[in-house]
Amino acid sequence: MNDERRQGSAVASDSAREYLTFTLGEEEYGIDILRVQEIRGYDTVTKIANSPDFIKGVINMRGIIVPIIDLRLKFHLGQVEYNQFTVVIILNINGRILGVVVDGVSDVIALRGDQIRPAPEFGSVLDTAYIDGLATLDERMIIIVDIEKLMTSQEMGLVDQTQSAAA
Amino acid sequence: MSIDMSQFYQVFFEEAGENLATMESLLLELDVEAPDLETLNAIFRAAHSIKGGAGTFGFSDMAEVTHVLETLLDRLRKQELAPTVEMIDAFLQAGDVLKLQLQAHQEGDEYEDPHVAEVCEQLERLARSDEGRAEARASSAHAPQAADMGTCWRLALAPGSLGQGERQALQEALGELGPVQDLGEDATGRCLWCLTTTAGRRAIEEILAFVCEPGQVELDTVELPAREPLAGGQWLEADAGGYGLFTDAPGLQGEASDAAASAPEPGRDALGYGFFEGAPGTEGVSQESDDDSLDTTPDQPRDANLQVEIQESDGYGFFCDAPGSEAALDQEHPGYGFFGGSPGMERVAAVARQDRLDDELGFGFFDSAPGSPESRAQAVAAPGSAVSAQSSPTREPRTAPGNAPRRLATTDSSIRVSVEKVDQLINLVGELVITHAMLADSAAGLDPVVHERIMAGLSSLERNSRDLQEAVMSIRMMPISFVFNRFPRVVRDTAASLGKKVALKLIGEDTELDKGLIERLADPLNHLVRNSIDHGIERPEVRRAAGKPETGEIVLRASHRGGSVVVEVIDDGAGLNRDKILAKAAKSGILVPENPSDKDVWQLIFQPGFSTAERITDISGRGVGMDVVRRNIEDMNGRVEVDSRAGCGTHITIRLPLTLAILDGLSVRMGEEIFILPLTVIQESIQPRAEQFKTVVGKGRVVKINDEYLPLVSLHEVFNSGRSEPDPLDSILVIVETNEGRAAVLVDELVAQHQVVIKSLETNYRKVEGVSGATIMGDGRVALILDVDALVRLSRRGV
Repeated sequence: MNDERRQGSAVASDSAREYLTFTLGEEEYGIDILRVQEIRGYDTVTKIANSPDFIKGVINMRGIIVPIIDLRLKFHLGQVEYNQFTVVIILNINGRILGVVVDGVSDVIALRGDQIRPAPEFGSVLDTAYIDGLATLDERMIIIVDIEKLMTSQEMGLVDQTQSAAA
Repeated sequence: MSIDMSQFYQVFFEEAGENLATMESLLLELDVEAPDLETLNAIFRAAHSIKGGAGTFGFSDMAEVTHVLETLLDRLRKQELAPTVEMIDAFLQAGDVLKLQLQAHQEGDEYEDPHVAEVCEQLERLARSDEGRAEARASSAHAPQAADMGTCWRLALAPGSLGQGERQALQEALGELGPVQDLGEDATGRCLWCLTTTAGRRAIEEILAFVCEPGQVELDTVELPAREPLAGGQWLEADAGGYGLFTDAPGLQGEASDAAASAPEPGRDALGYGFFEGAPGTEGVSQESDDDSLDTTPDQPRDANLQVEIQESDGYGFFCDAPGSEAALDQEHPGYGFFGGSPGMERVAAVARQDRLDDELGFGFFDSAPGSPESRAQAVAAPGSAVSAQSSPTREPRTAPGNAPRRLATTDSSIRVSVEKVDQLINLVGELVITHAMLADSAAGLDPVVHERIMAGLSSLERNSRDLQEAVMSIRMMPISFVFNRFPRVVRDTAASLGKKVALKLIGEDTELDKGLIERLADPLNHLVRNSIDHGIERPEVRRAAGKPETGEIVLRASHRGGSVVVEVIDDGAGLNRDKILAKAAKSGILVPENPSDKDVWQLIFQPGFSTAERITDISGRGVGMDVVRRNIEDMNGRVEVDSRAGCGTHITIRLPLTLAILDGLSVRMGEEIFILPLTVIQESIQPRAEQFKTVVGKGRVVKINDEYLPLVSLHEVFNSGRSEPDPLDSILVIVETNEGRAAVLVDELVAQHQVVIKSLETNYRKVEGVSGATIMGDGRVALILDVDALVRLSRRGV
């Protein structure tokens, strides 16, 4: 189903692409909606020993073991108590399924390429490699994240080093 | 009709692969001193099927090799030549070449090797080795009655096909081969001749080809009823001679039922010859006509009658798939009934044989769809056809009646399914079991009296899903003979190249285990067997001097023990040399405890780079081996044990779980988390006493158990649970066996014993140290499966 949707909108998205926006603290982020498989509530996770703190653990999603990443912790935006409004976005990145915990999902927006402006260089203060650009929508700034690049990066440690090297 | 042949390639590859394997095992089975004709025939059929398939699909290189192979086999089969060890070797080599070619085709390119020509030459030379004598024997084999006269061929010319002059010329030409006798005309107006000659069919055909179309003349050997049992064999010959009406093509499976479907069409048979070409395209038809043959069965007598009409007008009736065709046979005197691949054949055969006793001229050529495994599948579809289809491997009527019931019991019908589909099924069933566990969990709080029906439903759901799980799991199970079967060859070759005499004994080949395991077991076993031959079994003279029989014995034994499969490699050779191993260990700087036990010493052979062989051969001695064997086995959650006695032999035991997909485990609690410990590694669990805990240099913690100090692994410590460790005295010590000896794992609590479905963490995440996988518990939560070997490593690093 996911694939159909992907193909269907790939044709339509010639001019504009759709992004799923979510909030992390005060900031609003957008990711390519084609990477999103589903959105679900937060379940108890099974912790994985000796893993970085932003990896909350793994959950059972209909028989598939899915790792859960807290993007807040990853982006150093402080810790938050999980409640019934905490949302997990299940992503499908090149066939690998993983979930990210975010504060809340806000909207699906369509953006044309010219609406996304490149992010300014922050030098050593901030690595912008995973940021595609910034978009403005009703006075709100949305940070467009290249989620695929982010999730497969070495610092995430989600993928075995050898695999990422091969990829 | 143009068909994309490539879609059938896979079928051919699989079948050819199977045929090659069959051929090889039969060749090894063959006793050169007293060759079994049936075995030779079976080998020939395998080669012939490959040739037919290769030809159909245009793999001419394979067809060429098989052709040469077949030529020699054919002569062996007809007992014109006696098989020799040299021939068997040549066959095996040809088999190897074919395998390589097949592999190359599978990868889409051509196999180029001068070796091919070499093998072919060798085969040809062997086939010609006995030319002159064989010719004489051939004829005597064909017609003992005719002795030196040669074979008596019966020619039937279609009416009006030849003018008087042509007929005269033909008769003269044939006269050069031997005396021609004019038998006059038969009922259908055909002109019958009888030619007695020592020349082969090909020679006659060549002459005939000058004057007439192949369709106009029918050529056959004339035999007395007493010789009739060989009819099947002759049919084979006719097939080889190019008159194969039912070509031995892989696509043939469709042919029989296709023919059945077309039987009522007079147009098709009106030609007089039903050439049911086994075109691959007919495969599709077979699907439909599986049902067809069911449907048409009651109508068969009618079809058969139709056939009879046709056949009366021209003398030939080819009955396929016609259970009712015995009726036709009664009326068919001058004609020939070709019964091809037909369900119900066996019944027909019995009647036909009876009939032919008072029908001198009638020949029944019985041939069930050659070499097509699908015909067995059809047998399931068409009731009553089972017997005949089962007899298809036998092919010859004379053996069929005796063999058919026995084969019925041993040969199963099968379908090919991709492993992926099976795995998906297993996954889904695993989910079902988990879902059931969740349901049961939530229903646990209900009052069993009020909700009696829910409870009853749940318990029957549990039973059913367990049964379903077992059934699905068994799909993946395959007999270990798939691995074992390659060893006769390995042993034969290895022993021959080392000049040793080794007999191989296989026990428990029917033991079933997971297909994935079987594939991965092949390499380690191969290594162990070769090792046994190279290092274990002594040379014949040494054995004789030691008072042992010259022929060494290697036993491969598989058996189920509890939840695991045990595979043993036992040889009666020299055994491991303790002193040599210790000396080698000292030389390579491997640390060895003082006064090591035999067990400790034997473990040394699993050290990387360890070899005590005096010289390096191409079989073993490089020292890369036993460590790889152990690693391979451990990757499958298995263990290797060695036991040996000098002079008596070595006994290597491999213990494997039944399947890779399911694990018997003990769930243990650490804080909030549940972990699974594989049951295979657990030796015992005890409640520790304070005096058992000791420390070394204030840090390294050990536990004293039965006068042995074991390293202590605390899950809290290893996994940095962040919680302070509970009092060890309230905890449980689980003694586990790791590849570095025993260790004690400290856990909070033992929870329960489960069968868990193993899920990979790596699918969506990455490898986690100390964890071999994950599983989903009854409450839907994920539990990690512990890898004790890694735990011990981690714990050591932590200290």
